[in-house]
Amino acid sequence: MKSVCSPILTTAPSRNLSKRKDVEKHLVQMEGRYRGLLEAAPDAMVVVNQGGEIVLLNVQAEKQFGYRRDELLAQPVKNIIPDGFAERLIADSLRSAEEALAQQIDTGIELIARRKDGSEFPIEIMLSPLESAEGTLVTAAIRDITTRKKAEANLLQKVAELNRSNEELGQFAYIASHDLQEPLRMVASYTQLLSRRYKGKLDADADDFIAFAVDGASRMQRLIQDLLAYSRVGTMGSDLLDTSSDDALRQALFNLRGAIEESGALVTHDPLPSVMADEMQLTQLFQNLVGNAIKYQGPGVPRVHIAATKSNGKKWTFSVQDNGLGIDPQYFKKIFGVFQRLHTREAFAGTGIGLAICKKIVEQHGGSISVESQPGQGSTFRFALARSERKPREPSEKRACPKKFSWSKTVPAMSD
Amino acid sequence: MPKEILLVEDSPGDVRLTQEAFRDANRSIHLHVAADGVEAMAFLRKERAYVHAPRPDIILLDLNLPKMDGREVLARIKEDDNLKTIPTVILTTSDTEADIVKCYQLQANCYLSKPVQLDAFEILVKSINDFWMTKVKLPQQTRSGLA
Repeated sequence: MKSVCSPILTTAPSRNLSKRKDVEKHLVQMEGRYRGLLEAAPDAMVVVNQGGEIVLLNVQAEKQFGYRRDELLAQPVKNIIPDGFAERLIADSLRSAEEALAQQIDTGIELIARRKDGSEFPIEIMLSPLESAEGTLVTAAIRDITTRKKAEANLLQKVAELNRSNEELGQFAYIASHDLQEPLRMVASYTQLLSRRYKGKLDADADDFIAFAVDGASRMQRLIQDLLAYSRVGTMGSDLLDTSSDDALRQALFNLRGAIEESGALVTHDPLPSVMADEMQLTQLFQNLVGNAIKYQGPGVPRVHIAATKSNGKKWTFSVQDNGLGIDPQYFKKIFGVFQRLHTREAFAGTGIGLAICKKIVEQHGGSISVESQPGQGSTFRFALARSERKPREPSEKRACPKKFSWSKTVPAMSD
Repeated sequence: MPKEILLVEDSPGDVRLTQEAFRDANRSIHLHVAADGVEAMAFLRKERAYVHAPRPDIILLDLNLPKMDGREVLARIKEDDNLKTIPTVILTTSDTEADIVKCYQLQANCYLSKPVQLDAFEILVKSINDFWMTKVKLPQQTRSGLA
């Protein structure tokens, strides 16, 4: 740092000579104490009195505002910070200056500063009180935040662009799948009519061709319906409310009762907590995961267990564990993709949308979904949801009996 | 006495499909077709080429139609003292809540979504026949004569 000949801490000329001398004397003392501090500060610093006049400043302040020191001393701070600073110095009648100031200490205030040449730039100032013979002065550390502001604006713009393109994509998927359904309904309906009325009346080739057309059309219908369901996860719901995951699972198992009965699966669960969720989506999530667990079954009785444990960050981590076929770790990422399948259509029906929907639902809830598995050793899917904001219903408070649905009667699998 | 149905539908594929389904469900039905809203109103008011058109027992109304769409057709039917007693059944691919609410506000007699699958569509047509053509009591005195 270059040495400065004139005192760094200089005060404005005062009409009252004796007072001025006192003040100068005081400032000389202060200078000794603060000089190093002021000049070492990376930010521009100005000290302002209650009248809004600049009484002290450092070299960085001179540089930043393009003024010489003597052009700033005793001048209104409004010259360099037109709005928002001087106003804050004037304590209203109900509060002392100290109180008013105390509220602003340690909080950066973003304002606009003006250089000598009239150009403006964004600043952040930090205020702190400085007791002196003149009363309470205010030290303002002033940081040029032009770069940060540009970066922020850039980021905001990028986020807005991203949101827009995301929204467009969601809309596109929805509209495309919805509008594609119409002509496809015609193709599917009429090939089905052809098949029904003319099967065996043409020749063997015709029967084959019609059968392929019928199969292709109905497969495409399922794909489009699944795509529609997938895009709906993005455009609907997602109002996260206090939701009983116990009720959501109950509903999911009710919806799956056919598959559960048919497979003879044993589905068990721990007491489940309340979470912040969209109930329909949570039901769908359980339904897809438990449905998969039953569908991709190994030898023996399918067993599925659903549990929830408290985890860090006010979350509940849910797990859906099965004793099914298991998944090779190399496919862990692939299985959450849209229309990704690991088996032939002959082996297992379905379009491969289920886990993609699960992933989208969990992500809409601000979480992530993962899987742990080995072929032949079953799979465990895990996802975390935010705890209910109300006092969470502790597992021990859980109602013992299902109220809403009667699945426990029709699904013996549910009794532990 | 054969039942008269006015089907307001612009897609020829849908018209034929509905005809086929009704043929299976009830052979005594006369299915008349209007391809847009303007034509439907002309049929109902016996205007122009429809001077001799019968008064339909029920109307099957699609929502998305050229010229005058189904919502407006519905509004006009229900504003008309002579026509509003004809049960008007919305039969459309739209299943948006806004359309459903709007149609009931306009006094639609019921709202049906066209199923995507042929089998389900045939079952729906059969149930329209079983309910509106068979079980429901329709006003007899306005069936003929009043124009």
